Amino acid sequence: MSKQIYDVIVIGTGAGGGMVIHRLCQAGAKVCALNGSRRLDPRKDFRNHKQPYDMKFRGFNDPKKRKQSIGYMDNEYTDGIWEHEIVFTTAPGTEWTWRRCFAVGGKTNFWGRSSARFSEIDFKAATRDGYDVDWPITYDEIAPYYTRVERMIGVASTVQNRASNPDGEYLPPMNFRCIDRILESGAKKIGIPYLPDRIAQLTRNHAGHPACHYCANCSEGCDTGSFFSTPWFFLPEAEKSGNLEIRTNALAKNIVVDENGRAAGVAYIDRTTRQEVEVFAKNVVVAASCVESARILLNSKSRQWPTGVANSSGQVGRNLCDHLYGTIVRGYFPQLLGQPSFPDNVSASTVAWLPRWQNLENPRSEKFIRGYSVYPDGGCGGFPSYFDQIEGFGSEFKREIKRRYPTPIGFYIQAPTQRSDSNYVDIDPTVKDVYGIPAARLHFQWDKNTLLMWEHGKQACEQLLHASGAEYLGAGEIDTPGTSLHETGTCRMGNDPKKFVTNRFGQTHDVPNLYICDASVFPNCTDKTTTISILAFSLRTSEYLIENNKT
Amino acid sequence: MLAKVAAMSQFGGFSRWICAAEHAHTENAPKPRPATYTPQFFTPAEYKIIDQSTELIIPNDGTPGARDAGVSEFIDFMVAHDDDIQYRFRTGVAWLDAFATENYGSGFSDISTAQQQALLRRLAYRDQQFPTEIQGQEFFKLLREYTVMGYYTSRIGLEQLDYPGLKLYSASPECPHKDDPEHRHLAPPRF
Repeated sequence: MSKQIYDVIVIGTGAGGGMVIHRLCQAGAKVCALNGSRRLDPRKDFRNHKQPYDMKFRGFNDPKKRKQSIGYMDNEYTDGIWEHEIVFTTAPGTEWTWRRCFAVGGKTNFWGRSSARFSEIDFKAATRDGYDVDWPITYDEIAPYYTRVERMIGVASTVQNRASNPDGEYLPPMNFRCIDRILESGAKKIGIPYLPDRIAQLTRNHAGHPACHYCANCSEGCDTGSFFSTPWFFLPEAEKSGNLEIRTNALAKNIVVDENGRAAGVAYIDRTTRQEVEVFAKNVVVAASCVESARILLNSKSRQWPTGVANSSGQVGRNLCDHLYGTIVRGYFPQLLGQPSFPDNVSASTVAWLPRWQNLENPRSEKFIRGYSVYPDGGCGGFPSYFDQIEGFGSEFKREIKRRYPTPIGFYIQAPTQRSDSNYVDIDPTVKDVYGIPAARLHFQWDKNTLLMWEHGKQACEQLLHASGAEYLGAGEIDTPGTSLHETGTCRMGNDPKKFVTNRFGQTHDVPNLYICDASVFPNCTDKTTTISILAFSLRTSEYLIENNKT
Repeated sequence: MLAKVAAMSQFGGFSRWICAAEHAHTENAPKPRPATYTPQFFTPAEYKIIDQSTELIIPNDGTPGARDAGVSEFIDFMVAHDDDIQYRFRTGVAWLDAFATENYGSGFSDISTAQQQALLRRLAYRDQQFPTEIQGQEFFKLLREYTVMGYYTSRIGLEQLDYPGLKLYSASPECPHKDDPEHRHLAPPRF
């Protein structure tokens, strides 16, 4: 039997991989997608419509599993979905909380859905403030791809005319709740923006997908596909085209190269048989997410690529950036005490946000460079976790829990780190996963600039609380690095092959038939979330790949 | 529905609120909960203390309390599955029982409700606490936490909060107080 050679192998089926699969299958390419774990079944795996009392442990999880949980999204509702078997390590002094979803669709199954475009201010940040490097593209080049992505996935928002937040094509915004109206008034008084977020949640039927029903448990998966995920939006059509073969439980190990050092295929472990399998193609697209993609490249050592494939620059794994996440301040609205419940959390969504307002006109007007964004979170939630702020017991205690139910408010910061030599991924010299693949090792510390943003955000949001008539209850804590799932930078794009891993199209400088389609190509992480930009950049890379393969 | 049935077969005590949720399937509903619940972890004497103390923490005072929501069954189930808190619950209940005996000459379940409340007040309110009773204060904190966990994840407890999630809405809900953006002139508190 002659060996089959696909047009393209895509490692990963999340935002980046899913987009590549979608676009290439549409263009008639024969695609083999490798996915590290199983397919999810929305009927069984998405427990988003279950009440706590439908769950064996009421959503608090089996205590035995709770000990191994990787954080707030890894819970009884998502049991069996997040990756626990494949290990990673951290260098001494590094903490890293890391929820990885290897199931088909990856993290798009559960993502936060905030979908702001990057801007010229982001791309030209180095020119503006002198730190690090500019992105190798302009906003005008990428804008049409954002528009096409917005049409595909559906993003709800409004036109806002803000320098750092270019407007796109939007579905009607989500409505403002009581807490939004109150905070909007407060924000006006102190001159900071409070606006509808750009959120990929369908406020009306869109592109064959039903409008959201606002059940509030999006982070546990959507059984109606009312927000974008690749298994709902891209993969079914791609499979129907007859051009796609998805291999599940196929854990990519390394890129296989030919004698000239070009990509020939991928070696993977079949997790069901534990056997190593090789699959071959004319092109390989790595879209395994920022850190995993770096791990695959670094583990792809050969005579031609002794430090890992496409790593002649030595930059694979370097320049790791992340968002600092954490509740900056907490408070409550006395004006809502004892009011009837209102469906505040019905989207579990970022209905509104405070988009970056710092360093816009003058890039050096704050003590820190660049900027951060803030998401408010509050109102009637599920469990009244504020009970521990109330003393006592009995009828008075019970009444106070009820009275405070509509009142909690908190602010969650999204502050980007800047690149530094000390934040990077390499391969652990001794630790391997159960399949014998050397583990990724993380080296990461918050930088001073980001911590200044945290302090700035604390003050701004405390001010906002006061201006909104709310009472301040305290400052929160910084989450562990990795929590945001917005890692960027391990395969940065740039024009100079000596300094960057890929060119401005996501094609590796060293290996012309090897492409990277995830946030690892982003030179830094900006104040915005990554998914919509991964989609836009991957769409652009897909079409560049198609162009390169035209005979 | 299948998952609900599975949950019931694992833990009959949940039947009360699980079945209440399923009007459409009453013909399949299991029999009502047995009058006496057999604890998985606590001894009958311990369980009685848990039952009485949690009802004091969230009482039935015209609206349902901890007992109505099956809180002591929830606590027994959680503790039975959690090696890490079993010791704290066992010694805590024993401490509370000894505390009652020391003050009133009888165990916690045999003293009056007023006496039980007086004991809990000494553990619950900072201005009534004694430094020598830290163990009891810590146990009360744990017990209160589990009572809240059990009550406000039950159907009954969530109904008390009028929990607005997990319902279906045709549009994203909008603030109804258009003329009062700062919400300073709302109707008087209902609760």
